[in-house]
Amino acid sequence: MSRAEPLAVQPTDAALIAAWLGGEEQAAAELVRRHARALAGFLAAAGAPEADLDDLVQETLIRAFRSLARFRGQCQFRTWLLAIGGNALKDAARRAKSRGGSQVLPLEEELQAQGGDPHEDAVAGETERRLKDGLQGLSPMQREVFLLRAQQGMDYDDIAQALGTTPGAARVHYHHAVKRLKEIVR
Amino acid sequence: MNLGDRDDLDDARLRELAQRLGARAADTLDVERTAAAVLERLREAPARRRMPIWLPIAAGLVLLLGAGVVWRATHRAPAPAVAAAGYDLKTLSPDQLRQLLQVIDQPLDVDSVTADDTTWDDLTAPELRHLLAVLEG
Repeated sequence: MSRAEPLAVQPTDAALIAAWLGGEEQAAAELVRRHARALAGFLAAAGAPEADLDDLVQETLIRAFRSLARFRGQCQFRTWLLAIGGNALKDAARRAKSRGGSQVLPLEEELQAQGGDPHEDAVAGETERRLKDGLQGLSPMQREVFLLRAQQGMDYDDIAQALGTTPGAARVHYHHAVKRLKEIVR
Repeated sequence: MNLGDRDDLDDARLRELAQRLGARAADTLDVERTAAAVLERLREAPARRRMPIWLPIAAGLVLLLGAGVVWRATHRAPAPAVAAAGYDLKTLSPDQLRQLLQVIDQPLDVDSVTADDTTWDDLTAPELRHLLAVLEG
């Protein structure tokens, strides 16, 4: 009977984390494969400029792997990773501001092609643009809670653990965000 | 979504929009390239334990406190003799301590000191030094 669990049999995130901490490099690669797209989507929605997205994704992953020993499974790995991404994005915005750049990160310039009716595509693109504008108007906490909940489908307990708040407070942040976004998007 | 429908935007619609937001960026991300780049960067800076940010701050505070303690120890007036004498009193016998108490309990006027002169004679030189230290403290 083999003692070692083969990595190929869909290991859990926890198993991959343990393997990485044990020195298995490919475990990190698998974690990247699993979560990098969600991270990129989160960062892009949170306001990361497209040109910087690759760097921000890498920076977030590097930060996460370097502090993985401190991850205690208090929330899902992805939630924890996205929270680190939020911090990396804030740091990048601060750096941009100190260099004299715009505090609000630029929005995507292109309308998202929906592949349907051109008029509806344009309207959908406009709605997304408004949503993105609205997200930039939220507090960082409201924005992160909203995206973790609405975009990533995380539950409040997980969000609270990752962001260092309570589930009740996370719920309040979400509702504040939804209320403001509805006003902006409509 | 039609422009006229915007007023009816509900939570579900907002969630749908949020999910679509950033989807294109996510789709265009080259995951394999990202994984390779991350591994490469991790190899360049091996998985060493990064020093927690509070550690240098705490170390600085400890150094400052230590320097402050050393400075105070070297610059302030000598410590009250009472403390040192208090420690040394432990070396006295019960009888000697009683004698000492009697002396200390006397009112500090010339007459009483004179009247009790005999008591002083019972004390040895080191004991007198202790007593002086106490009285001067």
